[in-house]
Amino acid sequence: MTDTLFPAATGTMGQPERRYEAREKVTGSAAYASDVKLARTAHAYLVTSSIGRGRLQSFDLTAARALPGVIDILTHETIGDEIRQTPSIYGGGYMADTLRPLGSAEIAHWGQPVAMVVAETYEAAREAANLVVVSYAAEVAPVAGMGSSVATGQALDPMGFAVGDFDTAYRTANVTVDANYTTPAQHQNPMELFATQCVWEAGRLTVHEPSQYVNNVKFGLAAQLGLDPSRIRVISTYVGGAFGAKGFLTHRTALVAVAARRIGRPVKLVPTRAQGFTVSGYRAETRHHVQLAATQDGRLTALRHEGWEVTSRADTVAMGAVSMTARLYACPNITARVNVVAADRSTPGFMRAPGEMPYAFAMETALDELAHKLQMDPVALRRVNDTQTEPVGGLPYTSRSLMLCFDTAAAAFGWQGRPSEPATMRDGDWQVGWGCATAFYPTHAGNSAARVRLSADGRVHVESAGHELGQGMYTMMAQVAAEELGVPIAQVTVALGDTDLPPAVVAGGSSSTASVAPAIMAACDAIRRRLGIATGVPADVMPAMEASGLGTIEEFTEVRAHGTAPDSLRGLYRGMALPAGGVHLPDRVQFALGAQFVEVRVHRRTREIRVPRVIGAFAAGRIINPRTAHGQLVGGMIWGIGSALHEHSEIDTRNASYINANLADYLVPVNADVADVQAIMVEEEDRLVNRAGVKGVGEIGVVGVAAAISNAIFHATGIRVRDLPIRIEHLM
Amino acid sequence: MSDSERKTEPVSKRRRNFLIGSAMTGVVPVIGWAGQAQATTQAAPVDARAALNVALRVNGRLHQVQVDARMTLLDALREEIGLTGAKKGCDHGQCGACTVLVDGRRELACLTLAVAAQGREVVTIEGLAAPDGTLHPMQEAFVAQDAFQCGYCTPGQILSAISCVHEGHATSPDQVREYMSGNLCRCAAYPNIVAAVLQASQQMGD
Ligand code: FES
Ligand code: FES
Repeated sequence: MTDTLFPAATGTMGQPERRYEAREKVTGSAAYASDVKLARTAHAYLVTSSIGRGRLQSFDLTAARALPGVIDILTHETIGDEIRQTPSIYGGGYMADTLRPLGSAEIAHWGQPVAMVVAETYEAAREAANLVVVSYAAEVAPVAGMGSSVATGQALDPMGFAVGDFDTAYRTANVTVDANYTTPAQHQNPMELFATQCVWEAGRLTVHEPSQYVNNVKFGLAAQLGLDPSRIRVISTYVGGAFGAKGFLTHRTALVAVAARRIGRPVKLVPTRAQGFTVSGYRAETRHHVQLAATQDGRLTALRHEGWEVTSRADTVAMGAVSMTARLYACPNITARVNVVAADRSTPGFMRAPGEMPYAFAMETALDELAHKLQMDPVALRRVNDTQTEPVGGLPYTSRSLMLCFDTAAAAFGWQGRPSEPATMRDGDWQVGWGCATAFYPTHAGNSAARVRLSADGRVHVESAGHELGQGMYTMMAQVAAEELGVPIAQVTVALGDTDLPPAVVAGGSSSTASVAPAIMAACDAIRRRLGIATGVPADVMPAMEASGLGTIEEFTEVRAHGTAPDSLRGLYRGMALPAGGVHLPDRVQFALGAQFVEVRVHRRTREIRVPRVIGAFAAGRIINPRTAHGQLVGGMIWGIGSALHEHSEIDTRNASYINANLADYLVPVNADVADVQAIMVEEEDRLVNRAGVKGVGEIGVVGVAAAISNAIFHATGIRVRDLPIRIEHLM
Repeated sequence: MSDSERKTEPVSKRRRNFLIGSAMTGVVPVIGWAGQAQATTQAAPVDARAALNVALRVNGRLHQVQVDARMTLLDALREEIGLTGAKKGCDHGQCGACTVLVDGRRELACLTLAVAAQGREVVTIEGLAAPDGTLHPMQEAFVAQDAFQCGYCTPGQILSAISCVHEGHATSPDQVREYMSGNLCRCAAYPNIVAAVLQASQQMGD
């Protein structure tokens, strides 16, 4: 059981307030997109491709059309040109991929939507979808992924870089590590399905859809449908988990919008869990080659990290997190490269710690291998290579408390006295091992706007089109306004997740709080200035408000994040507010950092792997709500357990399909997989990152855990596993 | 629909008739109070797609609804009765998001046909709080222990947790972990869920 569930408020930590929307969530009254009741709703069901590459030859819709209750069937032949071809986000547009929804007879990947049935009931739509007969012309066998022999890598030169002379330094080094690592395809699988409801009223479209970026959906749909954006409203009041899967516009939204317009009724689509595997992006499989060289006392002299990632044929997508793994430790000679392997798969996308998880697995395992070769404690190895200046561009960290995290977590874990030799700790039939790793996540923020209204009766209303994904956005917004205006939090109401509100950044890259809190602070400042109250110090605004005789004061502010271009505020009003920061700034680097320690037990005979203890200490700047932040960090670390031991989207190479596209076979951690998981928040003050001093905690928890578990398994058994997920068969 | 899914769907007419038949058998004892002459559909050839009138007792209230024979209890609650607290996470009995109490026991509403729920007491998340709004101890414990993030799995978790306590499985953290493992939480609020179940089990006095 955790003993740090709800850390109290201290220097850089705010109050552990309860969740703003807690009551709605425990009483079932929180209305997620598929819960919204619209009058006369028709139900849609997708038909998706069963081949991996080829063409649609023909549809036989006779039986499906004849089914009672069927209203309409959309295919590329029946939809006309209602949906325009628009670029993906990788090409400066809004879509999660560049394929045009029901755009042609071409099949680019298994699971591609090829038809959508609309019927009076869900049951009729599903049955009719079964009755749609699709004839395919499969061309050549699809390239299923990294392993297929026809797949060839393509170097992405702009993502590569080098400093010093790696080759010479590596060749002349005392101690070296040279190893390859792999991570599998994974799917976010938020518990909520990818529901969409669309309703047209007097030429205006309202979309109810779980989203991490409502304005992306609004402006993307406007482009696809050739509509004035002012005619579209997107609402996402609650999101049942997202983890990157709900960031950008997918095919389904325009299909549902078109269907609703065609039949003149609201249409509801809830794709199945299996269909969800190709509705949105996913974490593509990766391969890594890492070479490290060090002096006898552990100082890194050469570091090389080359990554390969699967992408689709339509889009070149790479997370390329060598940009981070090469900047973590002092080292004079560095080479980094990124390659993509185009496959006949749907376009990959973002999944919690998208590149950080796989690239950290490779680098942090390699460091453990180096520590073992050096016969050096893994914490000591990190300490001799600690730096306040990143080694690639020589830029300063805005703040870096990595060793404080290591020391805090090591003490809480009881790391001292760990035997350095593997396979030496035993508890009955269990081999016991301890491992650790660095966690890191770049600090991002994006342009955002907020509106704050103060009423004479002391009520405060805060609005911004940010998103509540479970990270605590409602609570954070209420809390910041309450603090800035000196009113009790119970008097604050919040609205978010609606394109009618002031626009905010995409809820991605752990950037929501870092982006929206400064906008709320700026609006509160404006209110304080109107009341003649100094800003930047605690104050209760109510006496001045009463004295002013005003009924309400309302202020709207926009803030531009560090590293964004001066004209980028226009993007905020076009659904293009993307996070900036991390390693992409000219003057500095920004990272949250952490240290994660793990105990594993491997059964002597069955080789069952258990993880009884995980302790992470994190320095992520100011923590506005330690209660919700704790949930993010613990949840992230449990995702790390999933990455290490469970999650793997298994691919059938014959048609490049997912074999385990369901929640029984795609394993995610369940309650019984999780024992003692503790997150410690280390005090850190960073006045540079953003006005709120916030670095973000949504993703960092995931980052080092898989490496720490792999390192602990090596310590328990002497077996080094370099491929995720680690399973019993690896330890035979 | 992919090929692999297709196999799991009841596509032949014979299979549908079998399903309807067995569902009908299940409702025979309740026809009296349901007040609908369902028996006639057994005598005549069955139109598998004809809407059926069913009476569902949910949270102490009787609801007369028309359902497709294939409609699950989950969809009947959500689409017909308007109780959207029970959530669809997989529709295949794999995630627990749709958990409700049926005759006091936890049941997956996505694996229960609406017609088969006739004559049984269904409790959903909407039926837990007292009429004055006072939360059930399990709801209160979930709030106090921050046992959720996105909240999507939460109705199912809470109903499952109540059953877990009634079944006598909330005796230790290990027991709770084991008997709450049918309810996935992708946000991974698991440690807090365990804390909430243990807290509430004391207040529930079981
Ligand atoms: S929706 Fe019923 S178990 Fe998943
Ligand atoms: S709270 Fe999000 S799935 Fe459990």
